[in-house]
Amino acid sequence: MNQFLQASVNGITLGGFYAVMVLGFAIIWGVMGVINLAHGEFVMVGAYLTWFLNKQYGWEPFLALLVVFPVMFVMGYLLQKILINRIIDRSYLISLLVTFGLSIIISNSFKLMFSATPRTVDTVLSSFWRVGGITIPMAKSVVLIMSLLMMAGLYLFLQHTRRGKSIRAAAQNREAARIVGIEIAAVYAFTFALAIAFTSASGTLISPIQPIFPFMGPALTLKAFAITAIAGLGSIPGVLLGGLLLGLIEVFVATYVPGIGTNLGVVASYVLLVVVLVVRPQGLFGSLRPAEG
Amino acid sequence: MVKFVQAWRKYRLGKWALALLILFLFLLPVPQFVAPEAKLVTNSLLFSLTQMFMLIILASDWNLIGGFTGYYDFGHAVFFGLGAYGTGVMMAQMGWAFVPALLIGAVVAAVFAILLGSATLRLRGAYFSIAMLGAFVAVREIIRVLRPITGGGSGLTLPPYLNRPLFYYVLLLFMIFVVWVIWWIRRSEFGYTLIAIREDEVGAEMRGINTTLHKIVVFTLAATFTGLVGGLWAYQNTFIDPDVVFFDSRTLDMVLATLLGGLGTVTGPVLGAVLIYWLRDVLWANFLQYHLIIQGLVLILIVLFLPEGVLGSFDPNSGTRIGGWVGKILREADGETEETANAAESVEAPV
Repeated sequence: MNQFLQASVNGITLGGFYAVMVLGFAIIWGVMGVINLAHGEFVMVGAYLTWFLNKQYGWEPFLALLVVFPVMFVMGYLLQKILINRIIDRSYLISLLVTFGLSIIISNSFKLMFSATPRTVDTVLSSFWRVGGITIPMAKSVVLIMSLLMMAGLYLFLQHTRRGKSIRAAAQNREAARIVGIEIAAVYAFTFALAIAFTSASGTLISPIQPIFPFMGPALTLKAFAITAIAGLGSIPGVLLGGLLLGLIEVFVATYVPGIGTNLGVVASYVLLVVVLVVRPQGLFGSLRPAEG
Repeated sequence: MVKFVQAWRKYRLGKWALALLILFLFLLPVPQFVAPEAKLVTNSLLFSLTQMFMLIILASDWNLIGGFTGYYDFGHAVFFGLGAYGTGVMMAQMGWAFVPALLIGAVVAAVFAILLGSATLRLRGAYFSIAMLGAFVAVREIIRVLRPITGGGSGLTLPPYLNRPLFYYVLLLFMIFVVWVIWWIRRSEFGYTLIAIREDEVGAEMRGINTTLHKIVVFTLAATFTGLVGGLWAYQNTFIDPDVVFFDSRTLDMVLATLLGGLGTVTGPVLGAVLIYWLRDVLWANFLQYHLIIQGLVLILIVLFLPEGVLGSFDPNSGTRIGGWVGKILREADGETEETANAAESVEAPV
């Protein structure tokens, strides 16, 4: 029973991180129709920024959010203006290839700058909560709370502010949005910047929990794709459920399959990805825009 | 220039040039047998040409499914890995000879392609691409997990057999065969069906084409060729482990070569693979640390500024400046002036 509870708690904390990590990917895909294969690399960049502030200036990792979020917002804005804007209206192969190229450039540049050695970030929150027979690392519980807060914030922003509504309008019907006076290019640039900022912020959240290294990106990108495919494009409650589902599956497979379970947990998400895509390509929870043909 | 094109056509110089090139490639290792101490042709040159032939075959395979059929496979290297592991496991664990082991490797790749393809080929667009990417990573991790059979992360060592000229000839023949098969497909009804699927899948289906069957057949064919290359590569390399075989950029090389040469053409992937191989040799020799960064930049630049590929830009119908120039020369070689060409067009136009 304790093992089951412990696995559930671990799965939920992992799933909370997955959910916030996926947000940016789901929004870029849902609003612009661009599948960002460099997604995991932006998580990595956020994690490295945090590590740098932590090692160089002794900043607490969660405090680094104050730097990571605005810096990556600006980076995302510039990237959209310089590169992504050129490929939005072209075939999906083009956007896949350009972002794939981008991911190779980013990960290998970071390998050159910081070497391939895995890095860890120190935090004062290194103690544990003990509830009954299960232990919860304090850092993980803070990550879960921060993730939920960030998701709620984004959800409220999209639902209730003028800017957020214009983003949703651009996603649902671009032409109609243009006709009612929404400037699509500005909305896209803002959306991309916001999504990249959220993605990198999730890198900050993961840094005290997991070692970070330059090639951590592709696995995260695939998981982001799996969760978005399960959730449906751009649906935030769907993303939360999809993230929790994947986190729980990974932890349970790792806990209950003896011997090879740890590796199999990682495989489970990719198998789930292929299965969900084949069975229900429109996602399990509906979507912001219809599935493309 | 016009005279040159006319002479080229009159004496069928294209065929002669091709024959000469093949003859040259066949004779290249001869100094190695006759006078090895002269070092006219080194083993390392033969080795790198062999690698180039492999890339040509892989790019041509990718072009079959990506260029002809319009399904961009972002995990095609999974079949390379299955071929390599099928061969490797039979040789290292079961003690089989190379040729039967290679056939097993090809069969494994083909069977997996039929099973996976019948599921994923029903997906459209980016969903297919990413499902294949997921399959690629999943198979790599599964092979890492199946330690008793595949040796897991520590890999398998195959009985070494280092006869470079032999590998050279095998790959050369195989490459000629694959390119010939693809050239033949491109001109056959099967090839036109594939292109119909690429251009308008629903329309093709309306015409009574069993699109799923055609897609699975071409996918399996490409996977079998890729699996054979994987098996040959494993034997040549004598050591396989999940990270070497399922190297992240293996699919990227195929895509890059095809795009650089020209998507959906027969000669494009060949030319592209040669260019990529040459580029990589230069990068490896001079900028070892930066070579992947540069390769990523090249990818972005090709996609943004040369979407038709090198050969595609020379196509008179592509609408590029070079294409228009080539078209003009070809028309002049046909004895047409601008006016007769326009006249012919105006006659053909419906009244």
